[in-house]
Amino acid sequence: MSSLHSLDIQSLLAGYQKNDFSVQEVAKSCLEAISKKNPQLNALLEVSKDRVLARAAELDQKKSDAQRLKLFGVPIAIKDNILVKDWQCTAGSKILQGYRSPYTATTVARLEAEGAVVLGKANCDEFAMGSSNESSAFGPCRNPWDLERVPGGSSGGSAAAVAGSLCPAALGSDTGGSIRQPASLCGLVGIKPSYGRVSRFGAIAYASSLDQVGPLGKTVWDSARVLEVISGWDRFDATTSKAPVPSYSDALKESTLKGLKFGFCKSWLEGVDPAVQKAFENSMQLLKQAGAEIVEIDLPYTKYSLSVYYLIAPSEASSNLARYDGVHYGFRAPEFKDSETLYNRSRGQGFGKEVKLRIMLGTYALSAGYYDAFYLKATQVRKMIQQDFSNAFKKCDAVLTPTSPSTAFKLGEKSDDPLKMYLSDVFTLPVNLAGLPAVSIPCGLDDLRLPIGLQIIGRPFDELRLLQMARVHESLFGVLKHP
Amino acid sequence: MVLLMLSKEEVLKIAQLARLELSPEEVVFFQNRLGRVLDYMKELNGVKLEAAATVRHVPEDAEPFREDVVEEAFDREAIMRNAPALDEGGFSLPAILESE
Repeated sequence: MSSLHSLDIQSLLAGYQKNDFSVQEVAKSCLEAISKKNPQLNALLEVSKDRVLARAAELDQKKSDAQRLKLFGVPIAIKDNILVKDWQCTAGSKILQGYRSPYTATTVARLEAEGAVVLGKANCDEFAMGSSNESSAFGPCRNPWDLERVPGGSSGGSAAAVAGSLCPAALGSDTGGSIRQPASLCGLVGIKPSYGRVSRFGAIAYASSLDQVGPLGKTVWDSARVLEVISGWDRFDATTSKAPVPSYSDALKESTLKGLKFGFCKSWLEGVDPAVQKAFENSMQLLKQAGAEIVEIDLPYTKYSLSVYYLIAPSEASSNLARYDGVHYGFRAPEFKDSETLYNRSRGQGFGKEVKLRIMLGTYALSAGYYDAFYLKATQVRKMIQQDFSNAFKKCDAVLTPTSPSTAFKLGEKSDDPLKMYLSDVFTLPVNLAGLPAVSIPCGLDDLRLPIGLQIIGRPFDELRLLQMARVHESLFGVLKHP
Repeated sequence: MVLLMLSKEEVLKIAQLARLELSPEEVVFFQNRLGRVLDYMKELNGVKLEAAATVRHVPEDAEPFREDVVEEAFDREAIMRNAPALDEGGFSLPAILESE
């Protein structure tokens, strides 16, 4: 069975139930796919064959658990900014090269408790800052649909690992679109949960008021299953909610659009690639045919999302990244005469350009004399963006947008101008600022056969309905055949 | 408020606040990039706010209080193993106060 690595989660679970194959066979198939394809893709930064096979053997010993565990024997790649005990965790940065996690993130602990196999650590933009995976200190990751193109970012390695069929699912993190945009560019289902739905304990902080961990998978069912496992209150993250976690995957059976209203904002389509626009309009038709109503809405303050995000996220980052000082972890500059030079030099040499840019942006926005005009103003406009959405949700049950204004772009194409790169997240940023859940699902291919994504944004903690909507779209549009 | 292109001195000031040593080439690079981004953000100056309010982003039901109980913490050795330099089991760095 050489193609076990390309099975989705649902098929794997069914196969285990019927005793069609063992966890070790699946793990070996994934490891083979990795040794064949990863040198080109650079999707995974660390794969521990020994650990993976040991874990697989341990699960095969407990075959009866296949009935009980939600992710029994499912290999999952973990973005390299999420801690897994004894595995490396670099966040794509030279400053954390060689760092070994002393503990496991809550999300990963929950995956393992349900029988998942940690397969490897996935490449990402440095400290999750980027939309193309090009800011990784360990080289760019490539899009399996076209190796000349980026997989998106910052969870680019997670997306490429799944789209390239190295494994059926991956964990990513999303601060401004870092799960949804790569899901869109790689033809996957990526979920950014409501703020507070999923624990951030053990996820390396970028911007704490925006960060959420979430899944990338090939189907709505697969991503829904991973989400229900990682969601829920965590005593180690005071911002997690105690709201009960429904079984999202089971609830997909009852998916319907009857009586539901989708909102869309006409002005958002300006400047979007024609192919993306066409696929988006086609999706609206599909949803209408399935019984939904489409209404026009206005989100007047969301046009400031880019400015608001690039003040708030860097401000929080400048504080969160202060801990990398050449003393506690990882990289230390070889030459220094006093502790001041030790800090400045270790940070100057250890961080890449995009990270330094954002740390300085944040430092500037928080510094005396600029705080009111930049940081405070941004938090006030953020509030208005939240209000935009709560007003919209009086008229509709969910908001539709393209996930990204374009399909996958070429390596190097947008790296000369930071704003060009930042604009690839123009539809995803407002969602993080407002703390809402959103999903990106495949909705088409352009002329070059590159995937296009549709974003559905839901009310806070309305993941269940959001995923049911996504499921109906998937049943009409179908699942992409991955390269 | 009018935003001006940042001077080299301003870039160095920000870098010093952020504890980042920059090469002369980087100073010019960040002068341009910071200028470009901050210039775009000027759009926020004109935003009329209906009511000044800031964001509450923590879920309503999150409970930030808990009993203060002593528990087993992380494995100290596993944590210290990641330090670039150790001295008698502690983090090692150059003297901060000069000795007489």
